Parts: sequence; structure tokens; C-alpha cells
Amino acid sequence: MIATLAAVAPWKAPTIDYHALLPEIILAVGLVVVLLVDLFLEERGKWLLSSLASFSFLGAFVPVVTLALSDSGARSMFDGRFVVDDFSLVLKGLFILVGYVVVLLSTTYVEEGDYYRGEYWVMMLTSVLGMVMMASSRDLVSIFVALEFLSIPAYMLAAWRKRDSRSNEAGAKYFLLGVFASAVMLYGMSLVYGATGSTLLVDIGASLDDSRMTSVRVLGIVFIVIGFAFKVSAVPFHTWAPDTYEGAPTPVTAFLSVASKAAGFVALVTLLYIAFPLASDVWQPMIWVLAALTMTVGNVIALKQTNIVRMLAYSSISQGGFILMPLAVAGTNDSAQSVLRAVVVYLIAYAVTNLGVFGIILAVSRKTRSGEIASFGGLFSYAPGLAALMTIFMASLAGIPPFGGWFGKFAAFQSLLSAGGGWAYTLAVIGAVNSVVAFGYYGNVLREMWMRPAPDGDESPINAPSPLVLALGITTIGTLLVGILPGLVTHFGDLASLTGAFGG
Amino acid sequence: MVAQNIFFAIFAVIMVVGALRVVTSNNVVHAALWLVTVLAGAAGQYILLSAEFVAVTQVLVYIGAVMVLFLFGTMLTRARLGEETDLNNKTWILGIPVALLLFGTMSYALIDSFGDEKLPEDATVVSTQVISDQIFGPYLIPFWALSFVLLAATIGAIVLARKD
Repeated sequence: MIATLAAVAPWKAPTIDYHALLPEIILAVGLVVVLLVDLFLEERGKWLLSSLASFSFLGAFVPVVTLALSDSGARSMFDGRFVVDDFSLVLKGLFILVGYVVVLLSTTYVEEGDYYRGEYWVMMLTSVLGMVMMASSRDLVSIFVALEFLSIPAYMLAAWRKRDSRSNEAGAKYFLLGVFASAVMLYGMSLVYGATGSTLLVDIGASLDDSRMTSVRVLGIVFIVIGFAFKVSAVPFHTWAPDTYEGAPTPVTAFLSVASKAAGFVALVTLLYIAFPLASDVWQPMIWVLAALTMTVGNVIALKQTNIVRMLAYSSISQGGFILMPLAVAGTNDSAQSVLRAVVVYLIAYAVTNLGVFGIILAVSRKTRSGEIASFGGLFSYAPGLAALMTIFMASLAGIPPFGGWFGKFAAFQSLLSAGGGWAYTLAVIGAVNSVVAFGYYGNVLREMWMRPAPDGDESPINAPSPLVLALGITTIGTLLVGILPGLVTHFGDLASLTGAFGG
Repeated sequence: MVAQNIFFAIFAVIMVVGALRVVTSNNVVHAALWLVTVLAGAAGQYILLSAEFVAVTQVLVYIGAVMVLFLFGTMLTRARLGEETDLNNKTWILGIPVALLLFGTMSYALIDSFGDEKLPEDATVVSTQVISDQIFGPYLIPFWALSFVLLAATIGAIVLARKD
């Protein structure tokens, strides 16, 4: 016994680069502070909590900037299990910014709705902390833990309106299908680990290649991709999304449809680029089918919706299809570069635009108390500012220049066309048809706002609370910047910035 | 090796029977207790693979904590405890082909890839110390993260479950 103990190499303390961990540390400290301060606040002092939460997000953004400005290149810890490279920094910045905007969107909603406020902010901070960790994870264990980290608070948030049975249903559906997806993915991860003997993505990437595929390796990859297809609500694994989005509190829906989905894509991209780059024969056809189905089914069902949140749920499913679309040709070194750029740019453009849409919905539903698309009738006559902003966001989602969504779609199509080949062209055609179909339901909202009268003749103006106005300002500027000066964001998606991609 | 094979077979039979009873039993409490036999069988399998730490964790976490939670959960809520005929969903029959298909795919994949491989006779035993060194070394970040996951899950569960 003593002999075996002596034989084990002595434990060495891992070296930790605290600068690289600072965004996570600030968020973690922030959530603990919110939790503790909540205990000592009187009911009338609770507004302080939302400020604390938003300061945590702003504080966490600072080290992201300082890390991006430092010239030390990619920082790698724990034998490459936790990497801070440009790719992860961009997405950390995106997640933190989304968190901040969602806090702005939630502030009035949460305070007027008699929710558990302190805990609401804690859940929000925890979920974003998980996403920030996900952007740096380069190891199966870290990816799985980060995924649970960001999902578990999200399940809770979806059910936060606990006296409303639809919110309970939203939480229960999201939770059950989410853990089912996690289980499928974990099983796939265990198969991949069993077949390659490593949890480190770089090592897996070196040993999984098309020439040495065994059925266990294929099954592992398939299960992992299916698990993430649930997370990004790709058809046919999308059934939870509309009910969850409709039932959850509206700011939470904004959070789920943007941040949670982006986190799923980040993990998927890291896995495809670092762990499975040489196994593209296995996943490219799967992604192709998922992308084509997701775009088409999401769009077709969205056309028939009368509830705006439900319409946006299907719209976000279909937008997910557009993000998946370039990944279907990501398997070769030539196109990998442009695909990565397209995915990152699309995620940024989609995030700012969709948050903006939810900001408008929150502002309008404060007056109309309705979620129907018809309740937007006459918006232009009594709130021309909101109507103009909504027009910008809808145009951006539909992909009309010069707004952000246009450049996202442009980059996605460009990478498909540069990859070439019949499959890529077919998918591009399917995507193009779908972009046109999408005008149908985005245009429907515009028609209600600009041409129809207010449904009950009530034309009193809308008083948007100041946090909401700030959120709308940030998202509008973001949407315009990505669309007019796309050069600002394109270099974020350079292949060189994703350490270890394609064995590089 | 022979003794291990015999015990593997015994545990495997117990697990399969237990798993079938979990889904066919008409009594929630019985189903939970049958699940104990499945989880205990898994712990036994880990022992046979000389993964004693995983086996003990399995017993502590699944049989100790999760099952007690299940049973308390069913007893404290207003669920009926006795026999129930409508415990099964009407569409359960659709699950059978799906389950069989999945079982077929996974068995094919495992047999096709590892069919004639054997565990090496002198396989190195991973001691608990190595596992702890790994947790506090390369896997430190996920370990930290899990404490926050548990914190969030606890807070969220209290908020959602408390009466107000």
C-alpha cells in the first residue's frame, strides 16, 4: 500500500494566470455580493440589487478589454484545458454585454412583477458566468460542466413566474428536454473519451480522423452533435423552444433566445473545429440536414403565428438554422476560416438585434398588456420612435442592408459559395429562399405598426423606463455598427484566433 | 478473470431485471426501490473494474442522496403512494421500437469497435489519490464551477418550491 502511494507522482499546484481568470472571478464575486446584500436590504432598497448586478457585468467587461489589449497572445492554463484566446475573448465580451442588456431589460419588469429580485439577479449572473467559462473551455469535462452551469439557472429563470401555469410549463419542458439532451451528449462524450483516451479537445482532434473511424467514434460524435442541436433548438429538436419562450418571463426569453443559444453555438464550434476537424465526413452531412430543416421549418411555422413572442421563438429557430448553415461546409481548411468568421459575426449581429426586438416588445406590452402581433397596431401614430427602432430591428433580422443582420447573412452565404460544390450551393439556395420567406412574418409586424390603427383606439403615448431606453440605445447602435462598419467585427472571427483549431 | 466474469453476469442480470421493473411497476415507491438495485448493480460493476472511488461515490450519491430525495419527494408531495393503473403514458408502446433501435445501434457500435479486445491482465489501478490530484490539478476550473452550479441549483430550488 505504501509502495503504491509512493509510486504516484507528487501533486504539483497548477499555475494559475489570475489575469486570464479575472472576468470569471469578478462575475463570481458579483453574484456572491448580490446574494449577501439581498439579505440585509429592506424591501424599498431592493432596487440597489439591479445596479449591483449591472456593475458586476460592467466590471467583468474591463478585464476582457485589458486581456484583449495585452500582447502576450493566447493564454493557456491547465495543459490547454482553459484557453483565453481572441475567439474566447470576443464571445466573453458578447456574453457579458448581453448579460448587461438583459439586466437593463429586466429591471423594471422584475420590480413591477413582484418577483424574487435578489435571486433573479443571482441566477442571471450565474448563467452568464457559465457562458463566459464555456468560451474558454477546451476540454470535454469543462464543456459539460459549463453547459450545466449556464443551463441550470436558465431552467429556473424560465419558471420564475411561479404563479403562472404557463411559466411552470415553460420551465418544466425546458428542464426535461434540456437534461435529456445533456444525457445524450454526455453519453457521446463518454464514447469519444473511451475511443480516444483523452478529454482534451486538442488530443481528441489528433486521434479522431476520417481514415481511422470506428463505429464508436461515429456514434460519439453523432450523440454530441445531437445534444447541442437540442441546446440551439435545431429542428427536429426544437419542440421545447416555442412553449418555453412564450411561457417564460419576457426578459428571460430574450436571454434564452440570445445568450443561451449563442453559448450552444460556441461550444459546438469549439468541438467541431478543435476536437473533430478531421472527422468532417461524419458531422458535415448532419449539420447540413439540421441547417436546412431548421431554417425551413422555423420559417414556415413562424408565418402562421399571431403571438409576437411565439413568432420570435420560431424566428429564432430559423435564425439558428442560418448560423448552422455555414458550419455544414466547415470541414475543410480552405472554408474553415470564412465559416468561423461568418458564425461569429452572425452571433454578434443576431444578439444585438434580437435583444432590441425584445426591448421594444417589453416597452409596448407595458401599455397594451398583450402579446398579440395585432397589439402593435398604430404604434407609429402614438410612439413613432419605438416604431422606427422596431423597423430597424425587423429589417436587420430579415437581412436588409445596412443593418447588422444583413452582414451576418452575407458572411454566411459568402462562406457557402466560397466552399463551392453542389451541396454547398443547394444549401445556399435553400437559405436564400428562406430569407425571402422570412420577410413575410417580419413584414407582417411592420404592416401592423405602420398601416393599421391602434386596436382599441387607445393612442396614449408609451413611457419607456430609462433602463429600457438605455438598452434600446445600446442594441440600436450595435445593430447599426455591425451593418455599416462590418470591418469592426470581421477580424474577431479569424481562424488564427481560435487556438488549436485544425491542429494549428 | 473467470470469477469476475461470473460476477459481471450476476450483476448484469440484476440490473436488467431491475431496470425493466422500474418502468413496468405500477407503484412509484416500488419503481424507486427497483432503481436502487440498478444503481447498486452499477456500483458492483465499478468494483469489478477496480474503480473503488467511483463505486463508493455511486453508492453515496445515487443510493444515498438521490434515492432518498426521490422517496422523500414522493412521500412529501401529494402523490398517491399505492398501486396506480394510469401511471403509464398511453403512448408507451411507441417507446419500445425507439428503445430497441437505440439499443441495437449502441450494441453494434460497441461490439464492432471493441468486440475482440480484452482488458489487459496487468491494467494499472487508478487510485483515489490520482483522482484527487487530477481534480485539484488540471480539472480545477470545472471543480470550482460545480460549486457555483450547486449554489445556483439550491437557491433556485428554494425560490421555486417555497410557499408564498
